[in-house]
Amino acid sequence: MKEIVVASGKGGVGKTTVAASLAVFLNKAGAKVVAADADVDAPDLLLALGGGKTISSTEIEASEKAVIDESTCTGCSNCVRACPFGAIVMQDNLPTVVRLMCEGCGVCKVVCPVDAVEVKKAVTGTLKIEDTKYGFPSVTGYLRLGEHNSGHLVASVKKSGRKIAEDTAAKALVVDAAPGIGCPVIASISGASYVIAVTEPTPAAKRDLERLVKVIKHFNVPAGVVINKANLSEDFRGTLENWVKNELGYQILGEIPIDYEVVKALVNMAPVTEFNPNAEASKILTAIAKRVKGEALP
Amino acid sequence: MSVPTVAVTGGKGGTGKTTVAVNLAVGLSMGGSKVMLVDADVDGPCCAMLLGVELSNGEEVKIFKPVIDATKCTGCGKCVTVCREHALAGLKGKIPLFLEELCSGCKACQLVCEADAIKNGQKVLGTIYITDSNGVKLVVGELKPIEPRSPIVARATMLRAAEELKKGEYDVVIVDTAPGIHNVIAQALWEADLALAVTEPTPLGAHDLGFLLDLTEELGLPTEVILNKADIPSGLRDEVVKTSNDRGVEIVAEVPMDNELLHSYVSGEPLVRKSPKSPAGAALLALVPHIREMFVKVGVT
Repeated sequence: MKEIVVASGKGGVGKTTVAASLAVFLNKAGAKVVAADADVDAPDLLLALGGGKTISSTEIEASEKAVIDESTCTGCSNCVRACPFGAIVMQDNLPTVVRLMCEGCGVCKVVCPVDAVEVKKAVTGTLKIEDTKYGFPSVTGYLRLGEHNSGHLVASVKKSGRKIAEDTAAKALVVDAAPGIGCPVIASISGASYVIAVTEPTPAAKRDLERLVKVIKHFNVPAGVVINKANLSEDFRGTLENWVKNELGYQILGEIPIDYEVVKALVNMAPVTEFNPNAEASKILTAIAKRVKGEALP
Repeated sequence: MSVPTVAVTGGKGGTGKTTVAVNLAVGLSMGGSKVMLVDADVDGPCCAMLLGVELSNGEEVKIFKPVIDATKCTGCGKCVTVCREHALAGLKGKIPLFLEELCSGCKACQLVCEADAIKNGQKVLGTIYITDSNGVKLVVGELKPIEPRSPIVARATMLRAAEELKKGEYDVVIVDTAPGIHNVIAQALWEADLALAVTEPTPLGAHDLGFLLDLTEELGLPTEVILNKADIPSGLRDEVVKTSNDRGVEIVAEVPMDNELLHSYVSGEPLVRKSPKSPAGAALLALVPHIREMFVKVGVT
């Protein structure tokens, strides 16, 4: 089983559009697929796949939070001073843990002289397994509002996806990653077989891609680049193409022009390759999927 | 922060948060305000790029890391037990192995070590840059690639901005947040007086906006929506309207598709300065008086 991760650095460049069309293409081509949405802050892959029928929904307790027992606490405020994250504040002479700030490191427990602190498991989010109308299942992580996105929920999404893939003899896990390069993205990329790095011809997207590539290369994962909205800036497009080929040493898997059929497809909640296979963007997305199949699933 | 603060956020990535933040900051500055712009999207900070300014001479964001003195370590294993991040590993009787990438810098290991064998080490997680551009003081936090701990760098950036604010030279702060609804964004929102949620007219934009508006409601933060790419062909404006209305939130600006905006984005010249009369430029500039009114309304002027 191969894990193909669609990532980007910058948000809104078209990860979900690429992931949805790739998953449907591979599944149709006989390489059974499991889709996984690892953008747990803004999980949209299922929307692009037309929704799903829920098979299971599980709360994931991957976070840890300090809990202070008020009856034991003497209010010495050792914990307030020791907390490196500013997550404990004094309120009415008693320390109070701020959920949004607590990283669960437990240093408060260490410094408490009366053993009033416990570090307890807390709900990180929900893991849903759904059946899509395209004949393959999808796993989605939904982060609890304001929760720490440490990558633990992403790891749960991937673990669940791998398990389903194993049970169903699927050949590919298609992972739609979050924007950025932090912990959730690292959790998506580590252990992957191939990364599709999506970008667009703007200086901001190029710079974010450059940062993402440092992560991809660190984990030694083969990758290729998709330039989306390729005619957004013809001037910058040439700069980007040369830089990808010469500086990054990656092949360009395809360049998708601006095509409002993509927007129409999103509004109709279908991959554009299914919504209008003859659209310019669909033809190129299909060609990209073929190349990725050749690269990642030989 | 006692200075009026607007967080520009939105849920989904790539909807135009940075475009709104930068143009609002420059627009306020053109109108005579002393503006601080904080780029708290430490995974991919792009404000400097949109302002056309090169960043240099940054301050490193450092955290503690344990350095084990093998001559003093008794191999008692207490540090291994106490480390909840599993950054210290090893058997009793042996000197623990340190897995640097897992360390959160919390110092619990040092606190429990009875042999005084854990010395202070340092680990660089990112960089903070402070510079001036287009009449705006820009504070940028940047995560070092391969480091996973964006929250620590984002928090350090907010604290550094708060330090700079103490100079008393600013009368408004704009914070450009990362996409999402996680704790780093929640922390930035917590310190704000008003949130602007930027979205786009697609089911994805509306879906992610819903999560974000639920978060600002939980935080009790006054929030308004900005619809970017408002007239994108075949777009789905109604769904964004519904998502906002259902939560009693108003759409206060609609920024149309505009080639001038794209040129400004690529060339690094803020649109409100480069083409204030272009359709998108005018829509963004109209936010300036609105924000001033909102400050009065939420009582922070």
